[in-house]
Amino acid sequence: MRKPQVHWDDVEIGGELAGFDIEIKPRRVFLQISGSQDWYPVHHDPAFARKGGHEDIFMNTGFTQAALVRMITDWMGDGGFLRKLYFEMRRQQRPGDTMACRGKVTDRYRKDGEGWVEVDVWAENEREGVTSPGRAWVILPMRESS
Amino acid sequence: MAQRYDIEAVRQKYIGTEIARARGRYPVEYDAIRRHCHMVDDNNLLFLDPEYAGTTEHGAVLCPPSGWLALYFASLGPWPAVFEPLLPIVPTPGKRIVNMNQEVEWFRRVKVGDHLSVSRRVADIYQKAISIDPDAVWIVAEAIITNQRDETVCVIRNTLLTHRTPEEVTAAREATA
Repeated sequence: MRKPQVHWDDVEIGGELAGFDIEIKPRRVFLQISGSQDWYPVHHDPAFARKGGHEDIFMNTGFTQAALVRMITDWMGDGGFLRKLYFEMRRQQRPGDTMACRGKVTDRYRKDGEGWVEVDVWAENEREGVTSPGRAWVILPMRESS
Repeated sequence: MAQRYDIEAVRQKYIGTEIARARGRYPVEYDAIRRHCHMVDDNNLLFLDPEYAGTTEHGAVLCPPSGWLALYFASLGPWPAVFEPLLPIVPTPGKRIVNMNQEVEWFRRVKVGDHLSVSRRVADIYQKAISIDPDAVWIVAEAIITNQRDETVCVIRNTLLTHRTPEEVTAAREATA
């Protein structure tokens, strides 16, 4: 079933995106390798990770990006266009954590005849707080009257 | 005595280095997208269901706008697992790596069947200590992804931290003592 399309005209600054939580369990670690095809051992081999100075394995950039993109694309609908995404890998999501993805609209403006929205996006967990802060620039369809 | 790492010489030699354009082994395909979505429970029909996607303004399944996935289709194939292209060409004291940030600017959507290519450039190199390695080296790399019509699809800027293991740091310290 087609999801309702959000329009630029209807977006409110301060509005929150529908986030979601993902539990980081062994199955999720395997899904991460399959889905990102990132086989660098620091993301699945605890001994390798600890030898490198980390406390444990941690989820990779592709996984984090996919989660943030899921939240943004679910919100912006089929007609939205993710124009730019910036995010940092400041802290880690490790097995046992629950990764929460969240987002909040911070700005809304017209640029070159298009409707732009800026959204603060981030991943967090209870152990570390915000682990991956970021920002998304999204172009949304405008209503014909705008 | 161990040879000292000369960051200025490395910067002069490698900043601006371009890596020749490479074409992805396969076109953008359904199943790699499905696995990518599956890892984060992304059930967006626009990325998964050809029948649904065909009814939208896009007319076909889209690749999620993930720089990681675009780079995968443009460079790494699903088999054999080739990790080397992700390793920096820049010489560094340590071989351990951690991605620190990524910026992806999108110019066009990517659809199933598109064939992507990538060209890369070393944009910056600097040294900044981290808690486990005083000589950690940071590399900023830029990847330009194009499609089969030579249109730029996205530009990815990635900051990669390279560091030594604690054992290697201790060994280097003892060697220079």
